[in-house]
Parts: sequence; structure tokens; C-alpha cells
Amino acid sequence: MAKINMESKKQRMFDAIVIGSGMSGGWAAKEFSEKGLKTLVIERGRDVKHNIDYPTTNMYPWEFKHRGEITLDLKKENPIASKSYIFKEDAIHFVVKDKEHPYVQEKPFDWIRGYQTGGRSLLWARQTQRLSDYDFEGPLRDGFAVDWPIRYKDLAPWYSYVEKFVGIAGDLDGLPELPDGEFLPGMKLNCIEEHFKKEVHKNYQNTRHVISGRCAHITENKDIFIQQGRSRCQYRNLCQRGCPFGGYFSSNSSTIPWALKTGNLTMHNNSIVHSIIYDDKKEKATGVKVIDATTKQATEFFAPVIFVNAGSFNTNLILLNSKSKRFPNGLGNDNGLLGKYVAFHNYRAKISAEYDGFLDKHTTGREPTSAYVPRFRNIFKQETDFLRGYAAGFFAKRKIIQNKEGIGQELKDQLLNPKFGSWNVGSHMMGETIPKEKSQVSLDKDKVDEWGIPLLKVDLEYDENDEKMIKDFFEQFTEMYKKAGFTKIKTFDTRQAPGLDIHEMGGVRMGKDPKTSLLNKWNQLHNCKNVYVTDGACMTSTSTQNPSLTYMALTARACDHAIKNFKKE
Amino acid sequence: MNRRKALKNLGLIAGGIILLPSCDFSDEKVSIILNKLQITIEEEKLLQEIVATILPEGEIPGAKSLKVSNFVWVMIDDMLSDKKQKSFMNGLRLFDVNVKELRKNSFTDLSENDKLIVLKDLLNGSTQKDKTENKNDLKDVKRFLQAVKYYATWGFMQSEYIMTDIMPYQLVPGTYGSCETIETNKRINING
Repeated sequence: MAKINMESKKQRMFDAIVIGSGMSGGWAAKEFSEKGLKTLVIERGRDVKHNIDYPTTNMYPWEFKHRGEITLDLKKENPIASKSYIFKEDAIHFVVKDKEHPYVQEKPFDWIRGYQTGGRSLLWARQTQRLSDYDFEGPLRDGFAVDWPIRYKDLAPWYSYVEKFVGIAGDLDGLPELPDGEFLPGMKLNCIEEHFKKEVHKNYQNTRHVISGRCAHITENKDIFIQQGRSRCQYRNLCQRGCPFGGYFSSNSSTIPWALKTGNLTMHNNSIVHSIIYDDKKEKATGVKVIDATTKQATEFFAPVIFVNAGSFNTNLILLNSKSKRFPNGLGNDNGLLGKYVAFHNYRAKISAEYDGFLDKHTTGREPTSAYVPRFRNIFKQETDFLRGYAAGFFAKRKIIQNKEGIGQELKDQLLNPKFGSWNVGSHMMGETIPKEKSQVSLDKDKVDEWGIPLLKVDLEYDENDEKMIKDFFEQFTEMYKKAGFTKIKTFDTRQAPGLDIHEMGGVRMGKDPKTSLLNKWNQLHNCKNVYVTDGACMTSTSTQNPSLTYMALTARACDHAIKNFKKE
Repeated sequence: MNRRKALKNLGLIAGGIILLPSCDFSDEKVSIILNKLQITIEEEKLLQEIVATILPEGEIPGAKSLKVSNFVWVMIDDMLSDKKQKSFMNGLRLFDVNVKELRKNSFTDLSENDKLIVLKDLLNGSTQKDKTENKNDLKDVKRFLQAVKYYATWGFMQSEYIMTDIMPYQLVPGTYGSCETIETNKRINING
């Protein structure tokens, strides 16, 4: 019996354990298994294999029973998930349903999740802008949160490293606030987006910019992509279904199969991490306790290095639930700050307009990205009555007018002979929010899920800074639109709760001082150095940029650090 | 038969159908499987005829040959609340009563032209003399027709035929034309 147990334990020992297979977990899996470490990835959801498990990817619009819409019953059953643009007939199987995984909203928070191999990397909007020192130095300069323990130069080589593998389309724009990277040819702006770019540059003496949004799409075939079995983006713009070409980056199409090819990766699906095991004698974490999603049986797995990439808030949950004699309030949580200083991106504000130029032009095909307006507020110095700033997406599309009046032949003729209208343009704001101590996630004292794990409580809301920023966005973009000759300008505050940005961050922030932060500059827990957190939970501040690229770069960098340490031992 | 009596009879028939949904004496079955709505073969045929009048056949096939009424049923069945479904079915069942009153014939027995005229009238709600009586019922007829038109238009434009032969939808466009000059003599492809 003892011998069997020994055997069984041996089978449960690895060189590295990675919790989660999404955007950052996929990278940890790749880095470790590529460097020869026997790696275990623990994924709470089912397996989704590239191409094999994309049931809708080659479906035509008319093949969807409801032409893409969600039935009323599904909407009623999923008041949270159905608020997300991704919760449609073609991708609903990749989105967590409300009932399956409840959580507690102290204040309204719409938590959009994807529990499967690849996580939300299947569903992301694929925007990949680098952070700059104007972001890393933000907290120190403006006196909020804590100082980041790293600067741009620390991460720059890792951005490059990740970008070359992921495939990023972008232009070399030469902007200090949005550093250039290793770009494939950028996706083209359309006539109106170009027009807006020129007008903004001219009207603001080159202090504001409109660029092609850098995005994780392959626009040029290269050997590294061929090796991954991925090829050029075909402009289907159906990414959320999973891409048969691997045209955009996801863990499913890229890092996970890459790691599996090494023979060093073991994937355990339907396995929910209950907690990380801390050994008081060894003074380090030794493994993880995992619950089988179906049988609900607990098993322990062991490794000298543990990476927590469960997706910002779930990473917080696991650490909070990892209680030991040494850490009664959660792993590494001596200062009581675990779960605190969470933040998000403010996506509430939208502004639309029309433009009557270029009436002899239109676009064809489908564009999977859009133009991007990098932050222009408070970059070089504080200049407004609110802290930080916002970036924005910008798109233009030729309006097509279909007259739906009347019935009979008249209606049919009208429908089949639509007319071009003016151009519709629109922007949405992506505002930096300030992490605060009262913004936090914690464990519910009574409620547990069906695996006996406490439910996560989310307590997070907009503040005065966010409101001021929304007002400024409306004012500035109204002016920018007017100067560009746009008319019928309409501003719209969606009043949406935090969460729909799907950019929740923080709670296990990086910092220099163990008294005021949880992670050091290598993403190790200050107080338990063989546990690394490299997903959104590690973010000290949010910046305005879409964060996935930064998570990937931080992960690759932390893996390099962990591997060097591992080799030493 | 006066209107009130007709309505009463209809109510009885409708009630009978609701109570005995499996009580079917003919060999003909409703061709569509629905989750919530209970419909008869006559109702299925009637909706087909209405949809065919809204989007008639021609050089380009119309709603009937593209089976658009099936899409209308599916959407009514899956997208509308119980209350709206009830109103829809009430409108459907009162529709022919109104047609008979206006035209002395069932909708299906009218000429194509008369079908078009009576539909237009009922859609506009401009025919009703006795507005005090059954105001809600008349509203239901109008709302029923508006819903049918809305979903029929949607189903027609997103039918395989239209999205393949008339305004082709490309699953794999391959490229993005960022600034193309419009060819003025060509039909605009809303799926292009």
C-alpha cells in the first residue's frame, strides 16, 4: 500500500505547475515545457482543441437557427453573461453561464469568464499595445497605489520576445507613450480613419495621434507561424468562434499545442484548484490541492515551482483560499493587502457621428481591428482636474440604407436595392482607473460553490475621477470630431457596471516593499518565493492599454527567472 | 354571423386547440417543431400566405419559396415573452376574422392584389370602424403583422439564397478593402 502511494505520488510530481491555460498560463506552459521542465497545467474547464472544438467556425449566418441572436430564455437565465457582446449564438459555448459559477456582487460587477482550455484567449479583442514608462511611472508621479518595481526597459525585451511568437500587426508610429514593437505589416485604416488621423495630427499640432490598432493578427507568413501551424489572417472577423487559420493568437492555436509538442506538458482539464499547499517546515509551497469537477474528489499535485494564472480574480480567490498556519489569511498575505487595490478599465463612454466626405468610397471585407487613439491626457505632466487618462478605439463604416417601408414587390425591391448613406464613425473610451484599498475582492464567509470553495465577493465601483474622465472624453472627442468635419455628434454613457471591459486587474500587486505589495519585481510572492503570479492580478496600476500583451511578457520574463532558479537548485 | 359571435366561436376553437393540442383529426401535421407555441396546420398555412404577400415571388424568389415563415415561427417561439407570444397568437387568430369582415372572404381566398391591399390596411390600422370594441384585439392584429413583417424581412435577407446568389456573404474574404471606389452600376452588397 505504501509502495502504491509512493508510485502514485511520483506520478503527481512535476517540475512546474501552472494554474490556468488562458492568455498567460499558456505562455508559462510553453516556456517551461520548451526548456525541458515536466509541466502540469491545471485547467478548471473542459478541453478545447484548436479546430476540432470550434463547432461554429465554418458556419454561414443562415445556418444559425436564430441568425446569431440569443433566445429569450438564455437571456433570462444569464442576466450577467448576456450583457457581453461575446454572448452570441456563435460563441456562447465558450462563455461561462451565470448559474454554473456564481459569485457575490457587493456592488454591481459583470464578471465575464471563459472556463476551458485557452480561457478567454479564444474570445479576446486582440488589441496589443505596449505599456510605456509613462504608465510604469504613473503611480509614483501621481501618488496612488505603489510604485511599480519594474520599468519599461525591464519588460521591453520580453515584449519583443512574445510579439515575435504571437504575431502582432502594427505600424512603427514612433510614439514615446506607446512604444513600437516587433511588428508585422499593420492593418490598413480606411479612408475615414485616415482622414481622422490627418485631421487630428493637424489640429493638435502632432500632440494627439490616431494609429492602426496593434493587434494579434498574422499579416505576413513567417517560419515561426508555420511551425505553429498558423497562417495569415483572412479578414473573416469571426475570431470569437476560434480561427481555423490560427490567424489570431490564442492559447489554443499557439502556446498550448506548442507546449504539448515537446512531450513535457501534461494537461489536466475539469480540475479546479482549491488551494496551494504550503509546507511550514520547508517554508515554501509544495503543490496544489485540486478537485475533480465531476467526481469532486480531491487530489494533490507537487512541484517546486507554481505559477498562478487563473485569471485575475480567480487568482485572488485561490491565494485567499490557500490558508496555512504560516498564512492564516491567504498565501503570502502578511500585510492584509491580498485582494485589495483591484481595478479595471472604464469603458462607459461612447461617441458617434456621421461624415459626408469620401462619398464615392466604401470598404469591402471585414476588418478585425480598428484605429486606436493612444492616451493624450496627462502624459508628460498633470494638466487636468482628474488623474491619468484614456485611450480610445475609433472606427468608420459606410452606412447602407435599406428602406423597409411598405410591403409586397415594393418592399422587396427596396430591400434588394439599398443605397449608400454617409459614413458612420464611432469611438469608445478605455479609461485608466485608480486602484484603491476599498476596491477589493474577498471570500464570502458562508457561501461556497459546488466544489466547497468559497464564493468570491467583488466590491468595486466607479469613482469621481472616472466621472470626470468621462466628461473630458466627451468634450475632447466632440471637439476632435467637429474639427474633422463630423456632424450629428452623439455622446452616450452606457452606465454599464465595471466588468464588461473584461480587464479586471490587481489584488496581488507587484511592488518593491513586502509591506505594501504582494509580489516582487519577478512576480514572486514576497513571502513565498516559489509561487509566481503573472496574470492580471499582478498589475500595480491599469494603464489605458489592453493588458493581455503585458501579461504575456511578464509571464515569459518570470518563467525565465524561475527556470534559472530551478537550474541552480 | 356577426363579429361578436365570430369572435366567440373563434375563442371556442382556439380554446379547444389549447386544451387538446394533440387532438388532430387530419393526417397532415404541422411541419415545424416549436418549443412553446401550439399551432395548427391552418395557422401555419395562413402565416405562409401572409409572408408570401409581404415578400412575393418574382425573378428573385420570394418568402414562400425561401421558407421564410419557418424563421418567423422560430423567432416568435424563442425570442418573445409569454405576453408577447399571447398577443401574437391572438392577432393571428383574429386576423382572418378581420379580413372576412373587410373582404367577405378568408385571406387565402383573396386575389393577390386584394391580399396586398388588406394587409396594408391592417398594418396601417386604418380600416377599423368600431374602435371602441376590442381595442386590444385590433392592436394585436396590427402588432402581429408588424412582427411577421419584421422577422420575415430579417429571414429573407439572411436566407441562404439571398446571401449566396444576390448579396454573397464570404466566409473567408481573404482581404480587407479599406478604401474602394464604388461601382455605381452594381447592386450594393450589404454582406460584402
